[in-house]
Amino acid sequence: MTAYELDDDGVIVIIGSGAGGGTLANELAQRGVKVVLLEAGRHLTAEDFVNDEWGGYEMLSWLDKRTSSGTWRVAKDHPLTPSWSCQVVGGTTTHWSACCYRFIADELRARTVYGDIPGTTLIDWPITLDELNPYYDLAEAKMGVTRTNGLPGLPPNNNFKVMYAGARALGLNVSTGRHAINTIPYDGRPATIQDGFTITGDKTGSRWSTLNVEIPKGLATGKLELRSQARAVLIEHDAAGKASAVVYVDGAGLTHRQKARAVVLAGNCVESSRLLLHSKSARFPDGLANGHGHVGRHYLRHLIQTVWSTFDKPVHMHRGEIMGGMIDDFVRHDPSRGFAGGYYIEMNSMGLPTTAAFMDPGWWGRDFASVIEQYSKMAGIFMSGEDMPQADNRITLTDELDAFGVPVANIHYDDHPNDLKLRSHGYKVLTSIHKAAGAKRSVEAPAYPASHNLGSNRMSARPEDGVLDGHGQAWEVPNLFIADGSNFATGGACNPTLTIVALAIRQADFMAGQMAAGEL
Amino acid sequence: MSAATTAHKDPKLPPPLDLPEGPEWVAALKLFDAHTAETLVAAARTLYPHDGLPERVYRRTVAHFDAMASKAPGAAQAFAEFVDLVDGALPLIFRELSEGYRVQVLKGLEASTAFRLVQRSCVRFLYDDVEVWQAFGYEGASVHLGGYVNRGFNDLDWLPDPPPGV
Ligand SMILES: Cc1cc2nc3c(=O)[nH]c(=O)nc-3n(C[C@H](O)[C@H](O)[C@H](O)COP(=O)(O)OP(=O)(O)OC[C@H]3O[C@@H](n4cnc5c(N)ncnc54)[C@H](O)[C@@H]3O)c2cc1C
Repeated sequence: MTAYELDDDGVIVIIGSGAGGGTLANELAQRGVKVVLLEAGRHLTAEDFVNDEWGGYEMLSWLDKRTSSGTWRVAKDHPLTPSWSCQVVGGTTTHWSACCYRFIADELRARTVYGDIPGTTLIDWPITLDELNPYYDLAEAKMGVTRTNGLPGLPPNNNFKVMYAGARALGLNVSTGRHAINTIPYDGRPATIQDGFTITGDKTGSRWSTLNVEIPKGLATGKLELRSQARAVLIEHDAAGKASAVVYVDGAGLTHRQKARAVVLAGNCVESSRLLLHSKSARFPDGLANGHGHVGRHYLRHLIQTVWSTFDKPVHMHRGEIMGGMIDDFVRHDPSRGFAGGYYIEMNSMGLPTTAAFMDPGWWGRDFASVIEQYSKMAGIFMSGEDMPQADNRITLTDELDAFGVPVANIHYDDHPNDLKLRSHGYKVLTSIHKAAGAKRSVEAPAYPASHNLGSNRMSARPEDGVLDGHGQAWEVPNLFIADGSNFATGGACNPTLTIVALAIRQADFMAGQMAAGEL
Repeated sequence: MSAATTAHKDPKLPPPLDLPEGPEWVAALKLFDAHTAETLVAAARTLYPHDGLPERVYRRTVAHFDAMASKAPGAAQAFAEFVDLVDGALPLIFRELSEGYRVQVLKGLEASTAFRLVQRSCVRFLYDDVEVWQAFGYEGASVHLGGYVNRGFNDLDWLPDPPPGV
């Protein structure tokens, strides 16, 4: 096992081993770069995982306290857990359901295409789809995304049959979609056995995660050292204003200082902004990389919601891969719909425990009981749409300190009128699809805790509009990078992970090039 | 209700709580006295009234509350407060009220943190009970049985099958 010295200032230190950090760690190691990967969570294996919704949630989730405010429904339903991610080696890729879609060109030019929408802070991305596409190709190949590289799509399951019937009746373009889930053996991993438990760790390994793909490959190079149960609490800088070390606390509660040639934050949005805001100094009084005040701002979480419907006959939606369905008719920006941006329709299923918990938190009584009793005859359909960036939708630090002495984060989010219009449009379409398949009753479930956390350390073409340049490099601190979804300039509509991975591969190319050129 | 399915908990998890049938079930609790326990059972039944479910699933739910309360003094206090609130709302104690009055009492308390704890904890534990899974047709853990690939993941037959490769 590779082990670097704490005072080795030749290593790249990456904080967080999820989609962004785990991928970047492997990509850098493959390029011969020395990497220390700090991960707050434990290093679990497939053996540890359980096929149990709450058991998995409690095993994998980031459960440290956060607070929330604003008009979003999440602040009422889930005030202390407003954002949903994992604390474990592999991050939320141990939990995700593996939908993999690409941004479309217009989404990367959101400000230009959508125009000047009052109350928003839309910008164009500093990179184009043409620049990103080669990295999407690499990401799809490494993740084994279905319907790319000759890999077959997921077979239709019961829930999909309902979605398909409704969508076809309405003339919509429906397929089982694209997923980083093996339908045939690929890259040494087996085909899915349709167990329906990707969200509690995935015991078979048929789904890509950084835990089962990137990190083992990176470790095999001898260039990567993984330190699990290593919680970063502060990023330090030197007299020249460059990041110089990361202070972290290990599983035994001991504090260490790892020197660094460069530091990459990949803690999943909220944690990355929190660490930057907390890493204050005389030189950076508002936190690292925050000279223009954008750290924590423009926080995005996608317009995510589900419609659950009951039918006369059994569906058994829990059987099989949970999100194997996709409709792309509403992805493109179409001003005639009365709002900016678009959304993907996808399939969703949950077990009885979480269907009951998320259908409408706070709903009780005979009406609720009569719906949830129909669980076996229930189907689920879901959407992920673009939300509008707003300056005051932001992550800030509160006065309360966590067990590591770092201030607890607050997430503030007010819904923008555009968000509400898109949501309303989406609910109507989701319901009409189920109705067309024969639904007796449809329930509009609200958003659950934010699972697509984006934008709070955004990239921008001009330093005054964001935190990072187009390579995820901080404008203000040249050897500080961000590799998680907080680097998104705007959210687009699709699930973010494929893009996070593509950006991380691109970042690895850039960093290795800079190192070779003596600039990093 | 689906008779053709069998619900499974992951074999790695502890087995379901085994409570004695009849009123002596409360003796198995760590912290709650009989009145607290029975009041919480009445509340759980009023919040999530499934007439087909036996009393024991609601009792197991309350046994989970008891375990929570014995670990966290804050929770213990909130459960105690809940019982005081529901008992004090009308001239009759809560568990002697008819369902309509119990609903009325609970509606009046919706904004309280004690209500929220009881309501959320009910959802958390009641619908995580394997007997409830069985009753409502959720089969649960599957990897140890080979997943659903040969156990009906695509057996819905009341709609046309989508074309291959869709
Ligand atoms: C229920 C659910 C379903 C999802 N399904 C999909 C899907 O189908 N498709 C899709 O594209 N996306 C999906 N996502 C979203 C996807 O999981 C995330 O977008 C993605 O994992 C984010 O990657 P990341 O690198 O930003 O963070 P993560 O993958 O969350 O990794 C962050 C890691 O950083 C660690 N960390 C944080 N702070 C510190 C610290 N101070 N010190 C050390 N380590 C730290 C964390 O412990 C964690 O392991 C889903 C998410 C959820 C919750």
